[in-house]
Amino acid sequence: MTQHVIETRALTKRYGEAIVAVEALDLRVRRGEVYGFLGPNGAGKTTTLRMLLGLVRPTAGDAAVLGAAPGSPAALARIGAMVEAPGLYPYLSGRDNLRVLAGHAGAAPERVDAVLAEAGLAGRAGDRAKTYSTGMKQRLGVAAALLKDPELLILDEPTNGLDPAGMAEMRAFIRSLAGGGRTVVLSSHLMGEVEQVCDRVGVIRDGVLVAEGTVEQLRGRATLRVRAEPLGEAALLLARLPEVAEVAEVAVLELSADVAAAAGINRALVTAGIAVSEIAERRASLEDVFLELTANGGGPR
Amino acid sequence: MTRHVLAELLILRKRAATWILLGIWTLLGVFFAYIVPYALDPEDATGGIRQFLPESLAGTLIDGFPFFGGVFALMLGVFALGSEYGWDTLKSLFTQRPGRLRVFAAKLAALAIVLVPFVLVLFAAGAAASLVIAQIEGAPTEFPSAWLLLRAIAAGWLILLPWAALGVLLGVLTRGTSLAIGVGILYALVIEGLLSAFADSVSVLEPLTQAFLRANGYSLAAALGASVDAIESNGPGSYAGPIVGSAQALAVLVASAAAFAGLAAFVLRRRDVE
Repeated sequence: MTQHVIETRALTKRYGEAIVAVEALDLRVRRGEVYGFLGPNGAGKTTTLRMLLGLVRPTAGDAAVLGAAPGSPAALARIGAMVEAPGLYPYLSGRDNLRVLAGHAGAAPERVDAVLAEAGLAGRAGDRAKTYSTGMKQRLGVAAALLKDPELLILDEPTNGLDPAGMAEMRAFIRSLAGGGRTVVLSSHLMGEVEQVCDRVGVIRDGVLVAEGTVEQLRGRATLRVRAEPLGEAALLLARLPEVAEVAEVAVLELSADVAAAAGINRALVTAGIAVSEIAERRASLEDVFLELTANGGGPR
Repeated sequence: MTRHVLAELLILRKRAATWILLGIWTLLGVFFAYIVPYALDPEDATGGIRQFLPESLAGTLIDGFPFFGGVFALMLGVFALGSEYGWDTLKSLFTQRPGRLRVFAAKLAALAIVLVPFVLVLFAAGAAASLVIAQIEGAPTEFPSAWLLLRAIAAGWLILLPWAALGVLLGVLTRGTSLAIGVGILYALVIEGLLSAFADSVSVLEPLTQAFLRANGYSLAAALGASVDAIESNGPGSYAGPIVGSAQALAVLVASAAAFAGLAAFVLRRRDVE
């Protein structure tokens, strides 16, 4: 059994000559992980997911999902997906929407009520989908994705249109879905969501994967920020300390040093008669990293 | 396959548009086949008073299928596929287990099944109307033979089938409903209607018009007792084009339905679902 649930090689989608939606994407999603697929609007996230589901044909490259071709019955039988807003029959009840999909998916009829309960929609299951709030529609979409009790769950912007409470609820729901060895691919442009939920993250910009790693890896090492007086003397002193790799002076001192060295650095400064007003840990947030990576000119990491 | 068809039947059965079309089709069918011509002047009608009596049920009703019924079937076909684009439900269906062609086949099968009540309900309503008229006139109330009725019902269904398949094709090609219905009605009324009318005077058109749905639908209707004179004086749906043999009519209707469905399946399978 391959370690990768999703594996793409130079996957590319172009529309005509001018528009490149996805460019030579090499993506590997490991079994059992929650993989965050980050990127600004229009970066190629949804097109990639559609290619993985067989909804869109790649222009070049290839992909394997659960060891099978994207869109093949063998792959689809083990995948649950919600791509963008859930596609629902507005005049059908939530339950009937799921009955239609369960009929096509070959899911047992009992699964319908089970996933409705799991998504917290049992009380409104008989109401028409058009009467549902955005959050309820999103939850119904996730419920539909769970019908097959899939090994791989692909969720594209599942918190779109949700209020903060709904987003928190959805995040907890997604985290709970990841248990039991299920792999989840979560596409989003909301950093908090990804940071809290995902094991690994891939960042896509203009159709190109520009970074991939755990959230910790992407955020990089923490640095120390030192506010001291006189600053110049402090900089000279700190530059000589073995535990400090680099000192940058920008109104404050930014040190490339292990956070554990903070006490020793403080002692050294005070012993030298330098007044220390602040030593703080500083670490880039995922949002900082994302903005740096996805801004024009931001390079691969 | 059964579970896929049942799923698609659920979609069609719970849709208000299906019932609205069935209701309008039945009401207008009875209205224009019985109520209006009988109320105006029954003796002056093409078939005289006999056309309103139960004995003429098959011919009187089947007359309305090739154009009038065709447009209803076309709309039903458009809704069956075109609406899926508007609701963005194709992606949900195509990411289930079976694959695109199986889903499409289930949709076609469900549509073909839904056409059955369209024929049966109209025949039931027509039978009731003809009985009332027979009572009023003190005329015999015998219906045609069961075999003729069965053939008429089967022919009615077969006449509607290619129109529904054309609706499916237009819904897929235009990825929606409004344009598909507009183009479909334009085709039925203008292309088939006008070219058929000119077929008498422009001989080169005749082979073309013999392949039209209306030509073959009316030919099948005529074989089951519909009056060719009535067909020619049928208001906006009147038809004055060629009448072909019933075997050819059957073959063309079946081939047309298969061609429209096949083309729709090809496009649906090839095209990206954005």
